[in-house]
Amino acid sequence: MPTLTIDNKSITVPDGTNVLEAAQRLGIVIPHFCYHEALGAVGACRLCAMMFEEGPVKGLQMACMVTAQDGMQISTLHPEAQELRSHVIEWMMLNHPHDCPVCDEGGECQLQDMTIAGGHGRRRYAGKKRTWINQDLGPFVVQEMNRCIQCYRCVRTYQDYCGGDDFGVMGSRNRLFFGRFQPGKLESPFSGNLVDVCPTGVFTDKTFRFKTRYWDIEEAPAVCPHCSLGCTVIPGARYRELQRVRAGVNRQTNGFFICDRSRFGYGYANHRERIRQPNCQGAATSWREALEHLKERLGKVVNEYGPLSVAIVGSPRSSLECQALLREWTREHGYRPPLFEIDNRRDRTARILAAGLGKQARSMAEIADSDCLVMLGSDPLNEAPLLALAIRQAVRNGCHVTCLDPRAVKLPCAASHLPVQPEQLLPAINGLVANRFEEFERQDQLFLEGAAERLGRAERPVLVGGGDLLGPEGTEALLKAARSLNAGLFVTLGGPNSYGGALLSEDGPDSEEMIEAALEGEIKALFCIEADPLTEGPARSARALGQLELLVVCDHMVNRTARSADIFLPTTAPPEAAGTYINNEGRMLPFGGAYAPGLPLRDIGEGGHPPRTFSNITTGGEPRPAWAILATLLQRPLDFDSIHHGLESDPHFAGLGLLSPGGEGRRVTDAGMLPPAAQPEFPHSAPEGSLPLLVVEALFGTEPLSSLSPALEPVIPEAAVQLHPTTAARLGISDGETVSLRTELEHLRLTARTEAEMVPGLLVAYRLRGTPLELLPVGKITPCLLEKGGNDA
Amino acid sequence: MNDYPQILFKNRVVGETAFIDRFRANGGYQGLEKGLREMTPQEITATVKASGLRGRGGAGFPTGVKWSFFPADQPVEKFLVINGDEMEPGTYKDRQLLLADPHQLIEGVILSAFALQVSHAYIFIRYAYEECSRNLEQAIAEAKEAGYLGRDILGTGWDLEIHLHRSAGRYILGEETAQLNGIEGVRPNPRSKPPFPAAKGLWGKPTNVNNIETIACIPHIITGGPGWFINLGITQGGVGTKLFGLSGHLNRTECFELPVGIPLREVVETFGGGVRNGKGFKACLPGGASTPFLTAQHLDTPMDFEPLEQLDSRFGTAGVTVFDETTCMVGATLNLIRFFARESCGWCTPCRDGLSFVQWILEEIEAGRGNRDQIAMLKDQKKNITGRSFCALAEGAMGPLDGLLRHFEQELEDHVKLGRCPFGD
Amino acid sequence: METVNQTTGKDVLLPDDTIEAFRAKAADTPHPRELIVDLLRAIQDHHGWVPDAGIELAAQTLGLSPLQLEEIATFYDKIYRQPVGRKVIHLCDSICCWTTGGEQVAELLRDKLGIGFGETTPDGVFTLLPTCCLGACGDAPAMMIGLTTYGRLTAEKIDTILREIRQQID
Ligand SMILES: Cc1cc2nc3c(=O)[nH]c(=O)nc-3n(C[C@H](O)[C@H](O)[C@H](O)COP(=O)(O)O)c2cc1C
Ligand code: SF4
Ligand code: FES
Repeated sequence: MPTLTIDNKSITVPDGTNVLEAAQRLGIVIPHFCYHEALGAVGACRLCAMMFEEGPVKGLQMACMVTAQDGMQISTLHPEAQELRSHVIEWMMLNHPHDCPVCDEGGECQLQDMTIAGGHGRRRYAGKKRTWINQDLGPFVVQEMNRCIQCYRCVRTYQDYCGGDDFGVMGSRNRLFFGRFQPGKLESPFSGNLVDVCPTGVFTDKTFRFKTRYWDIEEAPAVCPHCSLGCTVIPGARYRELQRVRAGVNRQTNGFFICDRSRFGYGYANHRERIRQPNCQGAATSWREALEHLKERLGKVVNEYGPLSVAIVGSPRSSLECQALLREWTREHGYRPPLFEIDNRRDRTARILAAGLGKQARSMAEIADSDCLVMLGSDPLNEAPLLALAIRQAVRNGCHVTCLDPRAVKLPCAASHLPVQPEQLLPAINGLVANRFEEFERQDQLFLEGAAERLGRAERPVLVGGGDLLGPEGTEALLKAARSLNAGLFVTLGGPNSYGGALLSEDGPDSEEMIEAALEGEIKALFCIEADPLTEGPARSARALGQLELLVVCDHMVNRTARSADIFLPTTAPPEAAGTYINNEGRMLPFGGAYAPGLPLRDIGEGGHPPRTFSNITTGGEPRPAWAILATLLQRPLDFDSIHHGLESDPHFAGLGLLSPGGEGRRVTDAGMLPPAAQPEFPHSAPEGSLPLLVVEALFGTEPLSSLSPALEPVIPEAAVQLHPTTAARLGISDGETVSLRTELEHLRLTARTEAEMVPGLLVAYRLRGTPLELLPVGKITPCLLEKGGNDA
Repeated sequence: MNDYPQILFKNRVVGETAFIDRFRANGGYQGLEKGLREMTPQEITATVKASGLRGRGGAGFPTGVKWSFFPADQPVEKFLVINGDEMEPGTYKDRQLLLADPHQLIEGVILSAFALQVSHAYIFIRYAYEECSRNLEQAIAEAKEAGYLGRDILGTGWDLEIHLHRSAGRYILGEETAQLNGIEGVRPNPRSKPPFPAAKGLWGKPTNVNNIETIACIPHIITGGPGWFINLGITQGGVGTKLFGLSGHLNRTECFELPVGIPLREVVETFGGGVRNGKGFKACLPGGASTPFLTAQHLDTPMDFEPLEQLDSRFGTAGVTVFDETTCMVGATLNLIRFFARESCGWCTPCRDGLSFVQWILEEIEAGRGNRDQIAMLKDQKKNITGRSFCALAEGAMGPLDGLLRHFEQELEDHVKLGRCPFGD
Repeated sequence: METVNQTTGKDVLLPDDTIEAFRAKAADTPHPRELIVDLLRAIQDHHGWVPDAGIELAAQTLGLSPLQLEEIATFYDKIYRQPVGRKVIHLCDSICCWTTGGEQVAELLRDKLGIGFGETTPDGVFTLLPTCCLGACGDAPAMMIGLTTYGRLTAEKIDTILREIRQQID
């Protein structure tokens, strides 16, 4: 821990800290471009010059390239340092266009800031500037190469950090082009990070282009709602329109970056079909009437059938505040205990994880620091993209990654992949503990023994699981394995707040039990809070819902269940209200609302007029946070802070009140409870000649919110069924052919895609929203018949 | 005419290449036999260190000292790289060596590789030297055939393979760490030092980089002994012989092997045959394009590292480019700066953009559009580029500018005053 | 210089056996990138220059992405990423050639060929490019045509050289 002095202020920093970082810790910000905390120091821009006056290093040095040492005395204000910095800025500005007035970066441009900070105000160079022809980089990122100052941050982010190989730097000297070999979409799922890391306006967000100046945007740190990892994001809105999302910094979760689903999947909040007014039986009404109507109908049901005829389905999309009030509400009225996930498999998986994770919990930062990762049923790029980046960083530091999965798992780094059948995951996990793999073929045994051996040798091993494929049994086995191997555990879950729901569910009933009760006619009123049982629940849900006398839906998106609601109450979308999520490692992450809901002005502006009636409600501003609806029903004051702080009365959430949005969060203190014993599943006799179909998540097109975003339309994958070439050959099917796929309930036509790296004998399909595939449960095997053609569909 | 001992050019017959027969007939591979049969690797390094040999690639770092930092005794994969990029204007000595006598280099490579205990050596040859590459290919094949290369060389149990890397242009590949990137096939930007190549070089493994001429000296040092080698130099502290490539306004622009320490005047007048067309001597680059100009007042300086450093110039590669009295030194400097700006790798700002800025200022002045402020700007650019860039390329570029400002500021003033180049044609 | 595949009638970037040899070498080394410069040069030797398809072929042969190849190809100035004539004339414009009349030689060449730097003669024979020092400083002014260096250039010498090359080509 060296102690050094910068501008007469003394500081002690951890070993290995560079002097630029040490200065930043002192609050001294020296202009710099090429240094970035996530990317490290490379000493290319030559801007961070400081004068080393006394100590082991002397003279003018690039602070980012010097490791802090004891006894250093450094001046950032030395005239020579300032002089060099102003020259570097002048050099960088030689070719920079004066297009700030039309540049999207204006106002949040580091080059603008550094130009001022560097003292460069007058252009002395009057020669020609070099200019470029820009490339079309696809739907997300705009390139304006003339603005480039060659800091190399983009390529270091794209290639080194994110592992992309289709974007880089070409040319040499002062003719450097940062782009692709040919124009075209950036292939990396992390391409949007170029927008954040580029210090000037070369790479900007295409979906945000020309919409708003930085100082006009409403922003607040938030937590990404599109998977369970809890990445910090900063949504930004103007004129009631969510206009962009950029990465926030959380060194424990996402670090500095986010995935393109998170960044460009925000359109759901502005969705044109979003219902922004309460309605009863499809007719718009006021909140007061809707709530009165609700009380009246609910009262009738309770009077007639008793409180146990009321059931509640919450969701992993809801904030912890909402979930907690939901539980309180059911308790107060004696309704059935709430469910926080209608998908039984996901529900039980989350509860088992929350009950057992304990000390085995690891963060993404710890994954990046691991020396041995074994992945089981986890496909990060499709299920939890930032996890793939954490794994890549581990690999860059020498970690070995083993991946057991039926799918052709693609990672942005090296990994040894063994394709296994879904039902082989469990024996593989148990085998890792016992180091016995009898059930596997000889070749696979060797592979698995190697993995076990590496796990045994590792200092910081982590088992990485995909909750969807592992399911409750797999997750339970993995928990045991982690404990007995003394390894860390990281299991991805279904939604942003699955963990919170799991803790609050305690040992309450699962959705099987609820659906059965509904089918038996025991349930007469159902509340769905940001949940869509008709899509996410089992096929029997439709029949179960048909038996109801009252269906109430509170949501911000339109979905199957919302469409058939008797009473619909509009809720705010995640960036529109404050709340808390607990990510898949049990980390409590509060967020603030970035803006108040309302109909985007650009939608109203289209020829029409805002309503002329005077009202103190913003047009389209009716949606309320789900917690607020529940607080109203509970007759509690509509005070978010008191509800948020009140959560601390539950010992799980101790310390929550000390956390602030945008911070690192902290893990919950207590374990959850195990769900009740599962109902034995009826062995479904698979029809003759059927094949197992595994439906899984994809990066784009399957997550419920982002799938509603128009910006993602161009990247949603085709509806396809993947199968191993040998399986295809056996069925006489070739790649690209249209096939007919028949399950018990659905009949689909899909494109067949052969995939040599997946396990033979299995069919894999993405659960694409808006297609019949979305009705198939994720992670579970559905028997189906596959035929050529499919013209009869 | 050249009565000085010819060591490196011993076998040189202009227009011919000595292959293995002639090389061996003239005593070739005796140093190798001696080194491998009679000496330990440590002894070879010690001998090289004792000889005081300094790197011939431009920086002049003592070779034996560099070798002694190399983890020769560590049982890890390690490499030797021979730098034959030779793209600094005014430098063409390595080419002469390879055209005349490729086995001399091969023998040096084998001895050096043995001293450093590496089993893979890479010879890096610039694009324009295809003939040299072919000579080397033939020499490598012959050496293999003769049992000097391959497995268990001369029964030592030690193996060596020599790889030839043909480059595809760009001066920056001469910089040793950029060269390592070039061989690896990644973008040839220089790497930051530390870690030095001796710790982390090719593919992260310990690597020693030396110039072709440096390595060619090794067999001679082993056969002749350090004392003999030291005595070849004629100044106090001057060691060995050096290949001088003469160019510019001289009557004879050839490459000569001359003792280190020979006065510049002798190089120019005796070997260069004096300035062409009876003109007067105005200036010269003493050691390649990156070394500050010397003027007529410096003609009696011994051509050696220290004496030239005392004049704020450098011995560099001993490529002496002479300018006669009619040369516009602003134009000459502009030409040099243009070279460096064009050859910048583009990694760091002072070089990539600073050099183009300097180029532009010089263009303005040379074209008669310049003003006094711009002369001041040149000084302040020089101050802020020198020592501030990532590698030594930009620093080298400031060499001639520094010479211009120190010795020929008047010419800059004249351009500004006249509004045109006073030497204009 | 362009070899045409007899069966497909298409330009061949590199003969199949050479590609196979590179593929085998790439499979044999832990770092196939090492072969990038060699492979690009081989394509250029065979095809005259490296078109986009050459970058793609090289990428595919070495198991890399086209961008990864392009990053290297565009760094070096002796890899031609645009069509060139059958013979590329690299005229040195560095200091030693400058002192010995390099600029006049440039003028001469432009006149004789009727093209400027960066251009190709209408008959497709010569492309004229400037180059930095060729390491022929003792023989300045110098130029390199293909991989052959010519020094001590004079108007007559240039005439002879150009004439001889034209004759060889016909
Ligand atoms: C821009 C630049 C270009 C260089 N070019 C060469 C070169 O062409 N040949 C060479 O041997 N060394 C060159 N060097 C020096 C090398 O980096 C390195 O110091 C040298 O090869 C070491 O060998 P030596 O100690 O035997 O001289 C260059 C250095 C720089 C900064
Ligand atoms: S000084 Fe900088 S830009 Fe120039 S060659 Fe060296 S690293 Fe590249
Ligand atoms: S931040 Fe230090 S050189 Fe760029």
